[in-house]
Amino acid sequence: MWGKAKGSKKRGLRIYFATDLHGSEVCFRKFLAAARVYEADVIILGGDFAGKAIVPVLTENGSLRAQVGGEEVTVPESEWERLAADLGKAGLYPVRMEAAELAALAGDQAQLDRLFHGQINAQMQRWCDLAAERLDPSVRCIITPGNDDPVDADPVIAAHPRVECPELELCDLGPVTMASLGVVPTTPWNTERECSEDELGKQIDEMLAQVPSGQPCILNLHCPPYASGLDDAPELDETLKPVIRGGRPSIIPVGSHAVREAIKRYQPVVGLHGHIHESRGAQKIGRTLCVNPGSDYSSGVLRGAVIDLAQDGSCLDFLLTTG
Amino acid sequence: MTSSSEASVPAGAAKTGGAQSTRLFVRQTSGLVRELGIPAATGISLASVAVVNTFINFNAGLTDFTKSDMYLPLIAGAIIWLVAMFAYRYLLRAVPRAGGEYVYLSRIVSPAAGSVAGLGIAVVFTYVLSTNAHFAAQFTPFMLTGLGLAFHSTAVANAGNHLTSNIAIAWLSVAVMLIVAALSLFKVKIVARIIFWLIVLQVLAFVVLIGMLAFNSHADFTSALATYSNHPGAFQDIIAAAKSNGVIFGTSIASAVAIIPFMVLNYNGVLYSYYVGGELRRPGRTYLYASAISIGVLVVLWVGVWALLRARVGLTFMQAQANLSVVNPTAYGKITSLNSVAGGLGYGMILSGDPITKILFATAVPLAEIAVNLAFLTVTTRVLFAQAFDRLLPVGVAKISDRNHAPNIAITIVLIIGIGFCFLTSLVNLGSIVALQSLFFALILLAGGISATVLPLRRADLIQTPGMPEDARRRWLRQVTLVGGATTVLALFTVYELAAHSSVYGKFSWESILTLVIVLGAGPVIYLIARQVRRQRNSLDLTMAMRELPPE
Repeated sequence: MWGKAKGSKKRGLRIYFATDLHGSEVCFRKFLAAARVYEADVIILGGDFAGKAIVPVLTENGSLRAQVGGEEVTVPESEWERLAADLGKAGLYPVRMEAAELAALAGDQAQLDRLFHGQINAQMQRWCDLAAERLDPSVRCIITPGNDDPVDADPVIAAHPRVECPELELCDLGPVTMASLGVVPTTPWNTERECSEDELGKQIDEMLAQVPSGQPCILNLHCPPYASGLDDAPELDETLKPVIRGGRPSIIPVGSHAVREAIKRYQPVVGLHGHIHESRGAQKIGRTLCVNPGSDYSSGVLRGAVIDLAQDGSCLDFLLTTG
Repeated sequence: MTSSSEASVPAGAAKTGGAQSTRLFVRQTSGLVRELGIPAATGISLASVAVVNTFINFNAGLTDFTKSDMYLPLIAGAIIWLVAMFAYRYLLRAVPRAGGEYVYLSRIVSPAAGSVAGLGIAVVFTYVLSTNAHFAAQFTPFMLTGLGLAFHSTAVANAGNHLTSNIAIAWLSVAVMLIVAALSLFKVKIVARIIFWLIVLQVLAFVVLIGMLAFNSHADFTSALATYSNHPGAFQDIIAAAKSNGVIFGTSIASAVAIIPFMVLNYNGVLYSYYVGGELRRPGRTYLYASAISIGVLVVLWVGVWALLRARVGLTFMQAQANLSVVNPTAYGKITSLNSVAGGLGYGMILSGDPITKILFATAVPLAEIAVNLAFLTVTTRVLFAQAFDRLLPVGVAKISDRNHAPNIAITIVLIIGIGFCFLTSLVNLGSIVALQSLFFALILLAGGISATVLPLRRADLIQTPGMPEDARRRWLRQVTLVGGATTVLALFTVYELAAHSSVYGKFSWESILTLVIVLGAGPVIYLIARQVRRQRNSLDLTMAMRELPPE
C-alpha cells in the first residue's frame, strides 16, 4: 500500500547546507542549531558569510546615537549590548566611535575598508568560537567563502581547530569527496572574488582532476549553473537599477556557464550553490541534483537544504528547509 | 543593497535630530528578496474583507435579530480583531512565513495539529471563492439595473431579469472565477496592486455614499424612494406594512451582543496579510501597519456610514425594509423594487443623480468580490504551497513558475475545485452541508489564539531578543501569553455565540457536523499517509520539514 521501499541503501551521511548569511548573527545561530534539529553529520556554510554594512554608533554625553531601521535613535550607554545585538541580528556591524572618528572615516575609503575587514574577521572568529562551544564533537562544520567575502577571512576560519575551510581544495566527507570554490564570474558589483568564465572553468577542472577515479563527489560552488532555474535574478542596467520590461522587472539567468559545463562533464552527485538569494530551488542537470537554498537572512530566516547520501555516495533524499 | 532597515529599535530609544547625522557605511555586495510592502499588504487585508459586503451583514443582522443596532457589534468586532492582530504579530515574528495557522500550529503545537488547519483552510477557502463568485453573479441584475439607469438604457436594465436562473448564475460565477484566474497569473506584487486599486474603488464608493448621505436630508431620501418606486409614500408604507406583519422595532443590548459574530465575520480577513508572511518586506512591521490601517479604515467607514444611515434613512425604516422583504416579499414588492440586501448601496443608487456614482454603486459589489477572490486565491494557494513545501502534499504543488514567480499548479488546483463548487452552489442546495462554515472561521481564529498562547511555553526561543535581561524576557513572554490568551477567550466567545444562535449562524445537523469533521479530519489523515509513505520510500522524515530552528 505504501509503495516500494527505495532499495536497501543505508544513509551514510546527512549534510545540512546553508548559504549567504551576510553577517546575520541570528541566522548563524540557527545554522549551528540545524546540526541538532536535522540530525546532520556535517553542516556546510557555502559562502557570503560577511555582512554588508557598518552602523556607526556615536558616543555623546553618556548616550549612544545610531541609525536603526532608517531612523536615528538615541539610547543610554547601558543599552549598548542590546543595541549591538539588535543590529547584529540583521547582519549589520555596530561600531562605537566619537564624532571626529566618524567624520574622518567618511572621507577615508582605505580606513573604511580596514574597518570592514576587521569587523568581518572578528565576527568570523566569534562564529568559529561559537561553533566550538555549541556543536556536538561528532558534527563537522565547514565554512567556505563566497564572492562577497574578503580573502583575508579565509585564514581566520582555517586556523580555527573546530571549523574547516577547504576553499579550492578537496575535502573527504566519507562516502563522497567535496570540492569547494567561492569565486564567481564577473558581477556588476566588482566584489571580492570574481574571475572570467574561462578562469573559473580552469580552477574547477584543476580541483576535480585530483578526485580519485570512481570516487563520488559533490561540488560546493557558490555560483549556480547558468539557466538552471537556480540563477534567476533581476536584469540590471549600467546604473545597477532593475530593467523594466512589460511593466515588470526583467528576470534573466545570471549563473555560470563554466559551472554548468563542469556539472555536465563530471556529473557529481550533488551541486551545492548559493549567490542568487531569490532563486531558491532544486533542479537536476543530468544525474546531478543541484540545490540553491536561497537566502532570507535580513528577516532572520535561515533557508537551507538537508541532503542524505547513501554509504556508496549516491543521493538518497533531500529537503529544502526554512527555519 | 543594505539591510539596515531590518534592525529593530530597542525599548527606550528616541528619535533624535542631532548635530552630526549618523549614516551607514555600505560595502558593494550582491543580493535582494521580499517584495510586498505596506500598501500591498493593506490591499490584501482590505480585499479579504470586501468592504462593501458590510451591507449584506447589516441586512442579515437586521433580519435575523429583532431590535438590532450595529454600533456595539461593529466596535466589538473591531476590538476582537485588534487583540488578535497583536497575537498574530507575535506568531509572524516567531515564524515569518507563508501558510498562516497551518505553519503556526505545525511548528508550535504539532505537525498533526497544523495539518488540521492546513487542509481545512484550503478546502473552506476554496469553497468561499465559489460563494463569492456566486454572490457576484447574484448581484449582476442589481449591477445591470444601475448601469441601465446610468446610461438611460432600458435594455441593459432589463437584461438582469434574464440572468436570474440557476444555470445563468452558475455560468456567471464561472466567468468571475475565470477573470480571477486570469488576473492571478500575474506576479503577486502586480496582483496585490490590482487588489489595491479595486479596494480604492470600493472605498471611493463608500466615501461617495457617505457624502451623499451627509448632503441629503431625510426628506430627500423619502422623496427619492417614492420616485424610484413610483409609489408616493413608499417610505411610510414599508414601515406600516412591516408593523402589520409583526416586525418589532427598537434596539436591545441582547440583540447587539448576538450580532457580534456577524461583525466578527464581517471583519474576517482584515489580518490576512500574515498568510503571505513569507513575501512581506520586514514582515512584523509591514503586517502590523497593514492590519492597523485596515482595521482603522473599516471602523471609520462602517461606523460612519451606519451613523449616517441611521440619521438619514432611519433605523425603523431599515428594520422594516429588511424584515418585510423576508416575511412578506409580495407586500414589499408591491411597494418598491429596491433590492433590500444592497442596503446602503441601494439607498445611494436612488439618491444618486449622476451616472458616474450610479456606475460606482452598481459595480461596487462585483468588483469587491473579484478583489476578495484574488486575495483569497493568493491566501489559499500559499497555504497549499506551504503544505507542499513540507512534502505533506505532492512537491509539484509548491513549484514556483519562473515566469510569474507564483505557484501556478496550486492556483490551477484551487480554480478547478472552485469552479466545481460554483456549479454545486448554484445548482444544488448545499445549505445544510456548509452550515457550519461560520463556525470554521471562528475555529481558525481560535487556532491562532491558541498558537500565540502556547508560543512562549513551547517555542520561547523563536521570539527571544538577544541581549534581553532575564526579568524583561519574562515580562515579554508573559505579554505574548496574555495577548494570545485574550485572543483565545474572544475567539471562544465568538464560537459560543455562533453555537448559541445556531438557527442563524448555521444549524447543527448530521450533514453539517459530518462535513466539519471531514474538513478538519482530512488533514491529519493525509499527514499520517504522507508520513508513512515517506518513511517507506525516503530517508528524511516528514516532521523534519516542520521543525523550526531555534536561534539559541
